[in-house]
Amino acid sequence: MTMLLEADNITAGYGAVTVLRNLSLHLSDNESIGLFGPNGHGKTTLLMTISGLVRPSSGSIRYDGVDITLNRASDIGAAGLAHSPQGNTLFGEMGVAEILELSAFTRRAKVQRKTQMERVYSLFPRLAERQKQLARTLSGGERQMLSIGCALMCAPRLLMLDEPTLGLSPKLKEELGIAVADIAKSGTPLVVVEQDVQFLLSLTDRLYMIEHGEVVREIDRTDAPDHAEIMKLYFGGDSDD
Amino acid sequence: MTEAMIATILSGLVLGSLYAMMASGLSVVWTTLGVFNFAHGALMTLGAYVAWTISEYLGLGLAAGMVAGTLAAALAGIVIERLLVRPFYTNRNMLLITVMTTLAAMIIIEKGTQVIWGPRLKQLPRIADGELFIFGSAISVHEALIVLIAPVTLIALWAFTARTLTGRSLRAAGQNQTAAALIGIHVPHAYGLAYALSAGLAGFTGVLLGSIRFLTPTLGSEPLVKAMTVVILGGLGSLGATAGAAFVIGFLEAFLVLTVGLYWTPSLLFLTMIVVLIFRPNGLFGGRS
Ligand SMILES: Nc1ncnc2c1ncn2[C@@H]1O[C@H](COP(=O)(O)OP(=O)(O)OP(=O)(O)O)[C@@H](O)[C@H]1O
Ligand SMILES: [Mg+2]
Repeated sequence: MTMLLEADNITAGYGAVTVLRNLSLHLSDNESIGLFGPNGHGKTTLLMTISGLVRPSSGSIRYDGVDITLNRASDIGAAGLAHSPQGNTLFGEMGVAEILELSAFTRRAKVQRKTQMERVYSLFPRLAERQKQLARTLSGGERQMLSIGCALMCAPRLLMLDEPTLGLSPKLKEELGIAVADIAKSGTPLVVVEQDVQFLLSLTDRLYMIEHGEVVREIDRTDAPDHAEIMKLYFGGDSDD
Repeated sequence: MTEAMIATILSGLVLGSLYAMMASGLSVVWTTLGVFNFAHGALMTLGAYVAWTISEYLGLGLAAGMVAGTLAAALAGIVIERLLVRPFYTNRNMLLITVMTTLAAMIIIEKGTQVIWGPRLKQLPRIADGELFIFGSAISVHEALIVLIAPVTLIALWAFTARTLTGRSLRAAGQNQTAAALIGIHVPHAYGLAYALSAGLAGFTGVLLGSIRFLTPTLGSEPLVKAMTVVILGGLGSLGATAGAAFVIGFLEAFLVLTVGLYWTPSLLFLTMIVVLIFRPNGLFGGRS
C-alpha cells in the first residue's frame, strides 16, 4: 500500500502560539480519513499546514512520495492537493461560473476543465442555476457548494474539506453528504474535518481525534464506537481538567 | 451651439481620455494589491523621457520610443513592487506604509529624471500632424487619436482582466489571497504582473501626454491628482465606472476652465468630488451604500 499523504511529527502555530504538537497522521492511496475534536484544537491549522498556508516549525509532510514541507501553497495546490478551507469566502466580486473556470488554473487542471465543470454542475444543480450570480451574494450553503466545486475544478488527487456542512440545515447537510460521498466513491481520497462523528463514519474509513494539537485517538470504521462512547470522548476530557 | 461650447466639449473629450487611461492604471493596482500607487504619475514622466531619448535623441522614431517608454515604465513598476511594496504585504499598516513608499518612489523618479535629462524643456513629436475641424472648432489629429486610443486601450484592459485566465487570476489574487493560492495562483507573481501592467499603461499614457505638453519632471504629477479624483469618484472598482468618472471630470474641468478660469478649477473639482461622496459614498457609479 503506497502512502498518499504522510505528516510526520508536525509542530506548528501562529507566532508564539503553538497549536500542533508533534502530530503525525497518514493516508494511503485508496482510503479517506476524517478528523474531529473540540473547537479550537487545531484541525483547521493542520489542514492549512498541509496546504502550505502555515509553516511548521518542525516535522515533515510528504505528498505522493514527495517532501512538500516547505513548498509554496500555490505549488501544492498545483500538484493536485486541493483544499476547501473552513468558511471560504472565495472571490466575492466574481460570478459562479467564472470562479469555477478560474479554479482550473493549473496545467493539470486545465485539461479536465470541461468534464469537471459538468461534474460540479451535476453534483450541485443549484450552482448551475446561478452561474452569473456574484459569490458574495450566495447563501452559506451555496457558498459551501461553490467552495467544494472549486476544489474539484483543481482536478484533485487528494481533496481536503474543512467543515463542509458547518451551519447548514439537516436537509442541506444530507444533500452535501451525498455529494461528498459521490466524490469519494469516484476514487478521490478525502480528508474531511467535521464535528459529527456519525457523518464522518458514513464518508471515511478511519478517523483521527485531535485534541490540544495532538492525535489522541485513531478509530477504524470497522470497530467504531457507538454514540454514547463518542459523547464520552468529547466530554470525558473536560471532566478530567 | 457656440464655438466655445464645441471647443469645451472637444477639450473635455481629450482630458477625459487621458484621465481614463491614468485612472484605469491606478485602479488595476488598487483592485489587486490594495495599494494606491503615488508613483503612477512619475512612471508616466519616466515613460515620456525614455520615449524622447529613443525617438528624438537617438532618432529611432516615435513608434520605437513609445514601445521603449512603455517597457521602461513597466520595468520600473516591477522594481517598485519588489522593493517598496512587497516587503509590506503582511504588515497591518500596509496601506499607510505604501502611501509613503510609493511617494518616495515618485520623488526619486522625479529627481532622477531631472538629473538624467536636465532642466531644458523637451517635447515629443505628435503621432500625426494636422488638424481636424469639427463644427468650426479645431482639434489636432494627435488629440483626436488620443480620443480613439483611450477606449481601445480600456476595452483591451477590460478584456484581459475579465476574459483571460491570467487577467482573472489578478482579480482573484486581489479579492482573496488564500483562496487564490489554493487553486494554484502564485500571488506574488500576480501582484508583480498587475504592477507591471499598470506601470506600462502609465508609461504609454505619458508618451501620449508628452506630445501635448512639455516634458518636465512633474509632467505626470499634476494629472495624477485628477486621476485619483477620478478613481475615487468612479467608486474604486470597475473599469467602466472609472472610465465614466474620467469623462465626467474631463468635461467638468473643460467647462470650469471656460467659465471660472484656470485658477479656481482645481479647487472646484475637489469640491465636486467631496459633495458627490457625501451623497454617494460609493462613488458616482458605486451602487448602493
Ligand atoms: N491566524 C491565527 N493567529 C493566531 N491564532 C490562531 C490563528 N488561527 C487560529 N488560531 C488559534 O489556533 C487554535 C486552533 O485553531 P483551529 O482553527 O486550527 O481550530 P479548529 O480545531 O479548526 O477549531 P474549529 O472546530 O472551531 O474550527 C485556536 O486556539 C485559534 O484561536
Ligand atoms: Mg476549524
